[in-house]
Amino acid sequence: MQITLKNLKRNYASLHAVDGVSLDIPSNTVYGIIGRSGAGKSTLVRLISMLEKPDQGEVYYGDKRVDNLPKDELIQERRKIGMIFQNFNLFASRNAEENIAYPMEICHMDKEHIKKRTEELLALVGLEGRGKAPVSTLSGGQKQRVAIARALAVEPQILFCDEATSALDPQTTRAILALIKEIQKKMNLTVVMITHQMEVVRDACDRVAVLDAGKIVEEGIVSDIFERPQSPVTKEFISALTTVHDSVVRWSEDGGHYTLRFRGTKTGDPIISSVTLKTGAVFNIRAAGVQEVDGTEIGVMITDIGPDKQIAAEAIKALRNEGVVVEETEEGF
Amino acid sequence: MNTMFQLVWEATQQTIVMVFLSTIFSLILGFPIGVLLHVTGSEEHGGILPHPAFYAVMSRIVNILRSFPFLILMIVLMPLSRLIIGTSIGTMATVIPLSIAAAPFVARVIESSLKEVDPGVVQAAKAMGSTNWQIIVKVLIPEALPSLVSGVTLTIINLIGYSAMAGAIGGGGLGDLAIRYGYQRFRPSYMVAAVVIIIVMVELIQFIGDRISGHLISRR
Repeated sequence: MQITLKNLKRNYASLHAVDGVSLDIPSNTVYGIIGRSGAGKSTLVRLISMLEKPDQGEVYYGDKRVDNLPKDELIQERRKIGMIFQNFNLFASRNAEENIAYPMEICHMDKEHIKKRTEELLALVGLEGRGKAPVSTLSGGQKQRVAIARALAVEPQILFCDEATSALDPQTTRAILALIKEIQKKMNLTVVMITHQMEVVRDACDRVAVLDAGKIVEEGIVSDIFERPQSPVTKEFISALTTVHDSVVRWSEDGGHYTLRFRGTKTGDPIISSVTLKTGAVFNIRAAGVQEVDGTEIGVMITDIGPDKQIAAEAIKALRNEGVVVEETEEGF
Repeated sequence: MNTMFQLVWEATQQTIVMVFLSTIFSLILGFPIGVLLHVTGSEEHGGILPHPAFYAVMSRIVNILRSFPFLILMIVLMPLSRLIIGTSIGTMATVIPLSIAAAPFVARVIESSLKEVDPGVVQAAKAMGSTNWQIIVKVLIPEALPSLVSGVTLTIINLIGYSAMAGAIGGGGLGDLAIRYGYQRFRPSYMVAAVVIIIVMVELIQFIGDRISGHLISRR
């Protein structure tokens, strides 16, 4: 189901937590919303998921406006969406299968159906036979699997993931993201993924919106954003990723005034050497590697360019002519 | 010796009846108030229906009732006992002031137990489309159950203490026995017997309460 946000605003006292957000979240996609802490992500997800009413603006699920529903309708509409959280938020008083049964219980579904559906869901998330397990005996990844099963119990068309992998280790994060992607395809879900981790966006999302100070500063297809980030916040997210990601190796902690990004086949061409021959520029490479974003390879190189400013400018021009994205970093990396 | 045994046994039975009934009634009175206090409390503390004015008034009433010394409350409530039970003396008549004295305590204990429930879990329940009633019955109370059991244990023990005090103004039970026989008739053996039995009762209740609460936690 498509989600449309029109000029959403929400203030807390004098703070503009969400300040005029308009977005079209297409049906049947994994849509990332990334922002630093305090950027307004949590408020935004609460507004989109009908947990809070906006001060201004509108939220549509498909053609239906949902931000101004009366209480009873609101409860009915909430029963059609699924949501998972950073801290899993499972009921400690219930075991795994009773947790999964909860959303069906509150809709007064019959016991037989609930039992059958619970089994299906446990299998879907890879927890067959663990239904009777008390929540405290499950690992973080298993808890999130139970939470996913619980969220999908009522066959929603929309799944909200609020920092769903932030409390998990990298390996478990990848497994959970893979599961979410798989389920998204199987059930034709619209998944909205709120996160502060760029690797989540890289590994799981089709499109992404970057949120900063309550406003959307950038929006688009993930591979495009990775290749040509426009806003400082986005660049920062991507560069933070570069330094931590395995395939980008940094061998010098200082320096690195320029960040070069090569897309696709360009990673196979000897661009640096040819630019050196052409302009006489010298490159002092500080870090380099290749990242895979949504099936597209993006080469990253952090480097200084010498010997002087003029030649460096020529080299940058030559690089840009070759289709390389060159960014000047203010204070190194 | 036979008569002493009989007297002590009767007094023990009276105390058990008093404590049992007043626990039930104070829970009936205090539990809903505790839930109301919690749900109308501020949102940061997990209130699902925040209502500051209602909360403030309710909270004040509970505090006033709690700060009443029990002995004075009992005297004040004598006419009420007479109205309901027909007398203001004896075991049954004492149940009324005991229940009313314990109810605000119960309310606070319930409120603080419910406050311990993870607000994230309540938010999840809300996001799934739970009604407020479903949140209270299916989430808040079951999630807080081990803590609620400890709270009820505390209430029962408090009521054992109160019921002994009630003996001082003709309430019956072990407190009454200790005062009339042990103190006024200089029979220390009665005093000792009453005190020992009260200690045993308190220990027993604490033990059972801890076991139930521990069992509930171990199943999680």
